[in-house]
Amino acid sequence: MSATLEMPTFQPADYKTDLKPVWCAGCGDFGVLTGVYRAMAELQFKPWETVVISGIGCSSRLPGYVATYGFNSVHGRALPIATGVKVARPELNVVAVGGDGDGLAIGGNHFMHACRRNLDLCYILMDNEIYGLTKGQAAPTTPSGDKTKSTYYGNPEPSVDPCELAISMGATWVARGFSGDLKGTVDLLVKGMSHKGFAFLNIMSPCVTWRGDDQFKTLKAKLRNLPEGHDPTSRSEALKFTRETDIMTVGLLYEVKQPSLVERLSAQKVTSLRGGAPPTTQDVIKSFYPAF
Amino acid sequence: MPTKDLTIAMIGSGGDGVVTMGEMLAQAAARDGLNVIKTEAYGPQIRGGETSCVVRISSEKIYAQGDAVDILAVFNWADFGRFKGEVVLHPNAAVLFEEADAAAPTPADLGLGEGHSWVPVPFLKLATESTGTKAAKNIVSLGLFAELFGLPNESIRAAVEKKFTKKKAAVLEANLKGFDAGVAFAKALPGDLGARRLLYTKGSPKLLMSGNEASAVAAIHAGCRFFGGYPITPSSEVLHFLSEWMPKVGGSVIQTEDELSALGSCVGASFAGVKSMTSTSGPGLSLMTEMLGLASMAEIPTVVLDVQRGGPSTGLPTKSEQSDIWQAVFGGHGDQLRAVVAPTDVADCFHATVDAFNIAEEYQLPVIILSDQGIGQSRSTVDEEGLVHKVVDRAIPDPALGDKYLRYQDTESGVAPMSSPGMKGLMYQTNGLEHSESGSPSAMYLTHEKMNHKRYRKLRPIRDKYERFLQFGPEKANVGILCWGSSAGPVREAVAAANARGESVSAFVPQLIYPFPKHPFLKFLAGCDKLLVLEISFAAQFYKYIRTFMTLPDDRTILFKRSGGKNLTVGEVNDEIRKALAAKLPLEVKK
Repeated sequence: MSATLEMPTFQPADYKTDLKPVWCAGCGDFGVLTGVYRAMAELQFKPWETVVISGIGCSSRLPGYVATYGFNSVHGRALPIATGVKVARPELNVVAVGGDGDGLAIGGNHFMHACRRNLDLCYILMDNEIYGLTKGQAAPTTPSGDKTKSTYYGNPEPSVDPCELAISMGATWVARGFSGDLKGTVDLLVKGMSHKGFAFLNIMSPCVTWRGDDQFKTLKAKLRNLPEGHDPTSRSEALKFTRETDIMTVGLLYEVKQPSLVERLSAQKVTSLRGGAPPTTQDVIKSFYPAF
Repeated sequence: MPTKDLTIAMIGSGGDGVVTMGEMLAQAAARDGLNVIKTEAYGPQIRGGETSCVVRISSEKIYAQGDAVDILAVFNWADFGRFKGEVVLHPNAAVLFEEADAAAPTPADLGLGEGHSWVPVPFLKLATESTGTKAAKNIVSLGLFAELFGLPNESIRAAVEKKFTKKKAAVLEANLKGFDAGVAFAKALPGDLGARRLLYTKGSPKLLMSGNEASAVAAIHAGCRFFGGYPITPSSEVLHFLSEWMPKVGGSVIQTEDELSALGSCVGASFAGVKSMTSTSGPGLSLMTEMLGLASMAEIPTVVLDVQRGGPSTGLPTKSEQSDIWQAVFGGHGDQLRAVVAPTDVADCFHATVDAFNIAEEYQLPVIILSDQGIGQSRSTVDEEGLVHKVVDRAIPDPALGDKYLRYQDTESGVAPMSSPGMKGLMYQTNGLEHSESGSPSAMYLTHEKMNHKRYRKLRPIRDKYERFLQFGPEKANVGILCWGSSAGPVREAVAAANARGESVSAFVPQLIYPFPKHPFLKFLAGCDKLLVLEISFAAQFYKYIRTFMTLPDDRTILFKRSGGKNLTVGEVNDEIRKALAAKLPLEVKK
């Protein structure tokens, strides 16, 4: 008897829609999109059981280019929408995507709480350290001192490290990647999309238009891999690779096992019945008769 | 002479047990088959401050809270003072008050007449002596009330037992002693308070629920299986109730980080094929405006319950007002479509909520239920047989369509079937951007114009299919009242009283607010000589809203509007009816 070799059903190209990306030539987001196609194919996600959700921004256009169910919602709200989708239909593969302004400024509150809830979804934050779609204003990740369209004399504010925020807020899988490294991106996407719990992937995704042609080169020069023997279950070890300035460490910084929100809610559905049958509307109504 | 209808008010501070007392009274009356409407009012601090609880108990059908209090219990006169103008006494009221409170006013201060009773009661002393704790003041009062006013004694005692049955035996025993001490004190009282004794025959038990609870039950009935909510007074009871019951029916409740996320998660759940709802009040609806626009643009069914309170801003968090109508109908940027329904009482919260789901699911748009604190948080008896309402589900596309499926197909009805994740071959990518029939983003004028037409085409069928309204009184009348929401109850009672006096008065109460049931209203309008518009909004939002889509006859229209903070009373409506009947036509039109 010989083992049957089956060809995977879904190829990366199967996840492509007919819509042509609106991104500028050379945009880092192309690398992420290709990575998403490949990761989904590797995981053999059934397109009709997969939902890609975004807010607003250049990178938030991504759901339109993925042939699954998709929702390009409003600015900053990818995670609230994704939360509803995943809680209502836990069996679906849910991927949320967006940029740094979308996820950390206007959507910052949602980001913190999504981390805390440990909901089973993968959130890909394409970080170009700038507002691209609105043409070049400072974002929460724009380095302090940088001149942008909205910071004429240089950015007066310190920036935030999204990975540090995610780890401290309770995300159970946190990684940093670089869209210029397709292999590394696919590897992290596959792991993140397979994680049970909230997986946060900060992909540095250069903006050639508003951060200049050399953002690729600058980032590439700063790239470091995680040292051998890094213990991703240690929060304090993981945090050592955040807030870096002269270098940028990529890889899976942090990974722990915690019950996910879906697991907790599913368990409550069972325990709430105390072994009985689900109530009908009439049962619910009758609970309002005085109980004595 | 005994009475069939009794209104009892209890006033104290947080900790006096006023709310528990009112609840036990209401439960006991419901158990004996009486009709009950119970309302509570608090100071702005929501917890720990002055509290009033008004329970109206009647052997006949009632539609409004009692506006003239027959029996008043005051634990603390300072607290009573904080409800000035809100708790109004009948001239012949019986006032029972804490003897130890030196700050008592005189009966004349309270406008009492000759038939009143003025009864100092050592609540504190009775409680301490009989139970060992002053905390049992409310239980002592219950015994006192039961004995004096012929309230369902046995059922109140049963309510006390139920309340303390989970505590130590000694606690239960002490409270029952407190109850008996109240009874004994009442028996020893000189004078006759018997004129206020409630006359009734015991009937089968009735349901006792709040409007918010009725909405929550309706959501479960309608098939809602996702609720995303953020706490806000006076709507949090919906979140509380569903957090217990939703998991039992296989659904989920999440408490989100804010109202943007509350409605956002509902939009997500519904996109994923699961009926969803959130509940909030005015300030929350302001934040949800963003998501209403998205649900409108992406044509996603979802339901928002707005339990109105006084505004703007933090306003009067614990008290009712009808001032969110503009926000509900018009709030938001762009030309966005939603429907708005408004329940008229507790039981109608059930019907309005199921209707909201039906409209949302059938026409794929957000629907707002405009309830208010006056019905959302008041508890009333409800007949179980009345809680029946047909449920409609959204249309699902034929899987055979495959690539030909157009999520936003420009159909005659404006509605195209909606697929959801898991349905093979019917995938689509939606967005808050204007889009073509397939869902692809488009900024073309022609597409925008066409899709606006498509979306707005739903309005007329919603109006024709879901037009709901109440009408009281004769078809032809001298005065026709137009009001909405919780005003319906007092108006209904006032119209009935006026008709009984032989006065020519009727009323029209739309329960579908937007789109408005214009044709039945025009018919009603044609039947009355004068139109009297009544509302609890200083800016007259309802009156002005009506005037955005039709003209009202100025020379025969009278407007009564005032701020919220106090529910509309039967007495107020009576006064306005009297004035309107006396008004000579044509009315003077203000320039």
